[in-house]
Amino acid sequence: MPARRKTLSQTHMQMDVDVDNSVDISRAKKAILNRLNGHAPLPALVGLDGPLDSVYSLLNRTVSSAEGNTALLIGPRGSGKSTIVQRSLDMLKQKHDTDTDIDVDSSSVSKYHIVRLSGFVHTNDKIALRDIARQLLIKQDLENILIGSFADAFTYILNLMRSSDDEKSMPPVLFILEEFDLLAQHPKQSLLYTLFDIAQSQQTPIAVLGITARIDVMDLLEKRVKSRFSHRQIHVSNAKALEDFVDIARVALSIDDNEHRVTNAFAESFNRNVSAILTTDFVASFISDIFDFGKDARLLLRTFVYAANKLSNEHPYLQLAHVKTAIARETASAKMQILESISLLEVCLIISMKSLVQSGSSKYNFEMIYNEYKTFMSRHMLATAGGGAMKVYKKPVALKAFETLVELEIVRPALSSALGSDGSAGTSGRNDLLAGSTQGSRAPKEYRMVQMMLEPGQVLDLVAKRFDIPAVIRRWAQQ
Amino acid sequence: MSLLELTAQLSEKFPGRDYQIDQLLTMLGEPDEPTPPAIFVYGPSATGKTSVIRTLFENYDPIGTNYAYINSVECFTSRLLFERALNAWTGHIPSVENKFSNYARCDNLVDFVNVIRGVLDGRKETHYLVIDQAERLRDRGSMLLTSLMRMQELTGGCNVTVVLITNVVWDKFRPRHGGAADPQCVFFSFYTKQQMLDILVKDCPVGEPESFFLTFVEAIYEVFHRNCADLNELRHLVAMLYPKFVQPVFENQATRSEFSRLFKLCQPYFAAASERLYLREISTSEWQKYSTVASAKNNPEDVTLKIYQMAENSDGLDLPYYTKFLLIAAYLASYNPSRLDVQYFARGKDPSKSRKKRAVTNSENCLGGRDRQQLLGPKAFAIERMLAIFYSIIAEPVDSSVDVQIQIASLITLRLLTKTSAGDRLDGIKCKCNVSLETIRSISRTVRLEIDRFLYDFA
Repeated sequence: MPARRKTLSQTHMQMDVDVDNSVDISRAKKAILNRLNGHAPLPALVGLDGPLDSVYSLLNRTVSSAEGNTALLIGPRGSGKSTIVQRSLDMLKQKHDTDTDIDVDSSSVSKYHIVRLSGFVHTNDKIALRDIARQLLIKQDLENILIGSFADAFTYILNLMRSSDDEKSMPPVLFILEEFDLLAQHPKQSLLYTLFDIAQSQQTPIAVLGITARIDVMDLLEKRVKSRFSHRQIHVSNAKALEDFVDIARVALSIDDNEHRVTNAFAESFNRNVSAILTTDFVASFISDIFDFGKDARLLLRTFVYAANKLSNEHPYLQLAHVKTAIARETASAKMQILESISLLEVCLIISMKSLVQSGSSKYNFEMIYNEYKTFMSRHMLATAGGGAMKVYKKPVALKAFETLVELEIVRPALSSALGSDGSAGTSGRNDLLAGSTQGSRAPKEYRMVQMMLEPGQVLDLVAKRFDIPAVIRRWAQQ
Repeated sequence: MSLLELTAQLSEKFPGRDYQIDQLLTMLGEPDEPTPPAIFVYGPSATGKTSVIRTLFENYDPIGTNYAYINSVECFTSRLLFERALNAWTGHIPSVENKFSNYARCDNLVDFVNVIRGVLDGRKETHYLVIDQAERLRDRGSMLLTSLMRMQELTGGCNVTVVLITNVVWDKFRPRHGGAADPQCVFFSFYTKQQMLDILVKDCPVGEPESFFLTFVEAIYEVFHRNCADLNELRHLVAMLYPKFVQPVFENQATRSEFSRLFKLCQPYFAAASERLYLREISTSEWQKYSTVASAKNNPEDVTLKIYQMAENSDGLDLPYYTKFLLIAAYLASYNPSRLDVQYFARGKDPSKSRKKRAVTNSENCLGGRDRQQLLGPKAFAIERMLAIFYSIIAEPVDSSVDVQIQIASLITLRLLTKTSAGDRLDGIKCKCNVSLETIRSISRTVRLEIDRFLYDFA
């Protein structure tokens, strides 16, 4: 906390010994952690007022004037789409709650319903439909109607809603569709078709808001679905300027004396301390690095979790040292950390693979790697007559070391064809090199083709970082 | 128990894990403090990931209804995973009374999310879902991992944290669609030499002087750490070798102070251990049996001999006479190029003479290359070719009553040969030989066949 004035530091001193300060601290800690871990939205949205307005007014029009609305909210991961939606819903709730206060006699339980679907969990239309019914609080057994077409079942559900109210009109329903692109991959897109169709027909007031990170999401829609969509797209972008990006952190880390019921003085000095940390050269340069590489707000917030967790009576304010620890952890390469302490034999195998790669083979098996290792070692033995302290390990021992590398996924089975089937083997993570071969035609594991998941440059880095590697092997790696 | 006490207690129990324990406990905080949606614990095997996490949670939540520990090898479908987690959170134990039913039936993620909402309604503490060997989750559909990591969001703000334990880095987990935000990572590093020794010394047998044991452990570490960084392996070796090392003391051959002499007496065991014991070629009980026999007589030559016998590969491949030849023929057919068969196996010619002539002129430059068959592995061959080689390498005329075809079938059943052609094809069957060169060498020794005479381009 370098930028602090004298008078203030005195108040600090006083507050540090203050007894009921601990309540303030724990409140501040909880509030900040809630925001950083995504339990609570940030108190203010930085640079997202435009999209927020459009989303709110869209939802509001459905609720208040029974319009059928459809829109897509598109923006990269971590740019604040869900926060915008959550905030508009909160605002809507506030407005709605004050409305009901005025006319208490309209005795309906709630004026509108919210249905949230996510492409991650609602993997087919049947599951989605059952969950829609659950979220609309329909207790009736649905098994018999689920047999029919999706559209029939859906209108049946909506009709249940209608009849449950005394009035002719039914309450507005807001559909929030997260991971819209995954929902669009359901066969025949009947869920989306039905929703859009009802929204367009204007008989039932529903709003459909799709949230997605895919900018080409329109191409996923079938023609009949597309024609029923209003083509309203709301785009959200990441922070445009570095200052806005830093502001996100500032907003997330600062506390408000009224909202969190802490003393004014504590809140003030806490916030001043946050600003001081954010303007430190070290932290500022890290933030600008994130901004330059990916503008990932989630990574930015994650950096401060450790320091926020450490808030306690001893550390009433965020500590720069804790932030630095967290930054060091974020910037460390996980792969290198693991590689830094594997055994010498495993390093030798990695270098063998590197020399195989450099001599032009893209795929190789254990036999080739071991042959490379043995060739080098015998050459070395001849040169030094006896080999010094080095020992040539036998094939089974080397194979065991090799299997450790496979387990760490530094070595992966080579894809059968160069392109593979759209990289699907890469994501599924299937690691059948160690598993017993199910097909009889597979070769023994020494002969299965593998690839090393390291660049030659990384191997050199590794060799440079380790001090226990004999000079001979060092030279071999640099060849 | 306060967090500070817990930290101190765990740090004492797990030497060298202070940093990780502090990081984890800081992240968990008090039971009702907000936690990140996912914690990713990674590091090489035998670095204490599972045991630290399990002990931590056992002490952190003694009642055990706030965390669920799940091994994803055991729970090999998502349904098992979901139901186990709910059982643990609700304290439900399948038993006779409830007819071994689970707390709730969860066929898919939506069910799980909804049941969680019901279960956790009104509970303030964070609930943890600890998944060990999480790398297997990647095979269970692309959405499972992402959804678990977003459980907090999907359940509408229930306080759920997923802890993933694995030995693979996060980069290999990150879903392609980018749906899961990067979790908080905790890295369990390898132990340093000092930490390793601190832990190994804890295994010191009762009644043995600790400083003496430490010297031994250090020697073991120096011998083995170059090919093995795994703590569990070293512990196993220490447990196996220490009785041998200390034996001369009890047999009054040396005193505890004569360290180098003891070391020398134990040297043959080290050599044997580095291969057979380390590779688990002989079991613990076998090792103990043999090594007792070896040292009952105090004659050093006898010890060395016994150790040699232990180290000797006693191959269990006891095949009939003709079948051995069949297997050798299969090996030759798998590794030799067919174009050279005439030179090697044609009758009436001296094989060594003709081979020299052709091989040198024809393929001098490719000998010992990187793509020789020995390195590429066995290639498929037609059964007819193998039979031709078989009749050629067998010296005497084969008795016609020997049913060669049945022997081939039994070799395939034994997986010494693998069939590569389709199962229903009767003609033109193709096979591969599945046996290593060492095995073939020992087999041909038993039938007195000079295998090296027939091998092309081997080193």
